[in-house]
Amino acid sequence: MDRMNTVPAGCRNLARAAALLLLSGSAGTALSHEHAPLPNQGQAASAPSAKPSLAVSATVDARGRIWLARVENRTILVAYSADAGQSFSVPVAVNPQPENIGAEGENRPKIAVTRHGTLHLSWTQLLSKPYTGEIRYARSTDDGKTFSTPITLNDDGRLTSHRFDSLVSDGGDRLAIAWLDGRDRDAAQEQGNTFAGVSVYFARSDDNGASFQANRKLTEHTCECCRTALAWTTAGPAALWRNLYGTHTRDFALALLDSGRLQRLADDEWNIDACPHHGGGLATGGDDTLHAVWYTQGKNRQGLFYRQVKGDQMSAPMAFGDPRAQAGHATVAAEGQTVLITWREFDGKVYGAMTLLSRDGGAHWSAPRRMATTANAADYPIPLIHNGRTQIVWNTLQEGVRIMEVE
Amino acid sequence: MIMLVRLCIFLAGLCAGAVSAAEPARFDAGSLAKIEARYAGKPFILSLWSVNWCGHCINELTMLGKLSKHEKNLPLVLVAVDSPEDSEAIRKTLHKLGLNHAESWVFDDPIPERLRATVDPAWQGELPRSYLYDKAHRRQAEVGELDETKLKAWLKQQRQ
Repeated sequence: MDRMNTVPAGCRNLARAAALLLLSGSAGTALSHEHAPLPNQGQAASAPSAKPSLAVSATVDARGRIWLARVENRTILVAYSADAGQSFSVPVAVNPQPENIGAEGENRPKIAVTRHGTLHLSWTQLLSKPYTGEIRYARSTDDGKTFSTPITLNDDGRLTSHRFDSLVSDGGDRLAIAWLDGRDRDAAQEQGNTFAGVSVYFARSDDNGASFQANRKLTEHTCECCRTALAWTTAGPAALWRNLYGTHTRDFALALLDSGRLQRLADDEWNIDACPHHGGGLATGGDDTLHAVWYTQGKNRQGLFYRQVKGDQMSAPMAFGDPRAQAGHATVAAEGQTVLITWREFDGKVYGAMTLLSRDGGAHWSAPRRMATTANAADYPIPLIHNGRTQIVWNTLQEGVRIMEVE
Repeated sequence: MIMLVRLCIFLAGLCAGAVSAAEPARFDAGSLAKIEARYAGKPFILSLWSVNWCGHCINELTMLGKLSKHEKNLPLVLVAVDSPEDSEAIRKTLHKLGLNHAESWVFDDPIPERLRATVDPAWQGELPRSYLYDKAHRRQAEVGELDETKLKAWLKQQRQ
């Protein structure tokens, strides 16, 4: 009964979105070629993890093509658009074996592309034991025609929480992937000790993803269930995550992966034993200034905030979004002095994809703008900047993937 | 109509004291008003959780499961913010935690914000979150895991 309710909605959506070649028939065709036919499609369709997912990731290559990763039937599909989303290439499957890919809430596959066109993908494979997972990676060095066999990056061999991956490329051969990791908590518990939260671990590659160095620990005692974020500064990759201060205070921290020195992003003082399930975003415009967005319900401030971080200097937290419209899940992109923030609101009737734009490195901002609305399920909007062009990508059940010009 | 039928089946199940955890009922924009009406003049605990992503919720439900063994007729209403596709996982989890008799609901809306707003416009989705309703249905919001000692004291107070 439930299934019957879901499937036609999905089909309606696919039919409507057929104009976007990405979806509907073309996706099915591509999959049939890859898997001729999917042997367990029926089972996959009835498994809970096969719930239709709207979570997508997007990036832009040096030729201005927008690459999109999404999840369908336990498979990551990658396609590009050379005409700002009017049409998409035939999607190519990344993982040859179907797996339970985290693609709900803030979980989604991550995609990055280098100057030379290598596509990097990371994702969280959810395992059957609750809250356990593996951090997975695959790449394409032939313009997205084929992908390497997926590998598991976490190297501890434990069945524990490896989730909430984030991925960043320096545009060349260097790559970093960070995630929330339960290995230290489990080890402590085995010794009969308590351990607040989990840890942040990361893996680095200096050869364009051909190989990865051993996992390294960035920090211990972090919140367990918010997305992480990475950005590549002139001083190397920087990470943002919801940290645990003491055992209850869930405020954001950031650090350069190389130095590991922690900076508290803000003294929000959100003291709760709960899962906010609501992370932050991080970007850099190619210099050493970080643009951070985050969400808190702390004692000192509540809602969505933006601030710049340059070394030890931080701008004052700037509130944005309408808290009465449950504004949340912000993401930020930057290129040079252009900074674009997106987030989602719900006004009681429809979801809105919201934007804020700055052309002077975050000193001054446009008025908030509602770029589009939808009256059904929706992903969070994603900001894209390339060659001064500002766009957002928004996947919604009714309208499919939309790419819209901000300015 | 279907919802009404489902509700009736669900309520019948409750009255009969179903032996195994029932399929969670669908929680829509009108559900909380119905729950409140059913508990008119009586205290109850509304506890919001997720089967998919909330470890702290499992801690809280473990405590509530143990508590419900000693507290017969614990007035507990559980609402999972997941979706009807997760019904089986919800049923299994509650069964494992000794909450198979608890009243159980699951969000049924492609826009969970709409349902959150019917519960509390100030609630931004963090979990677990509970509301302790007294007899007059003055309610207090509890963000994060419920404290067992505090909860027991509250229950005692409600019986006076």
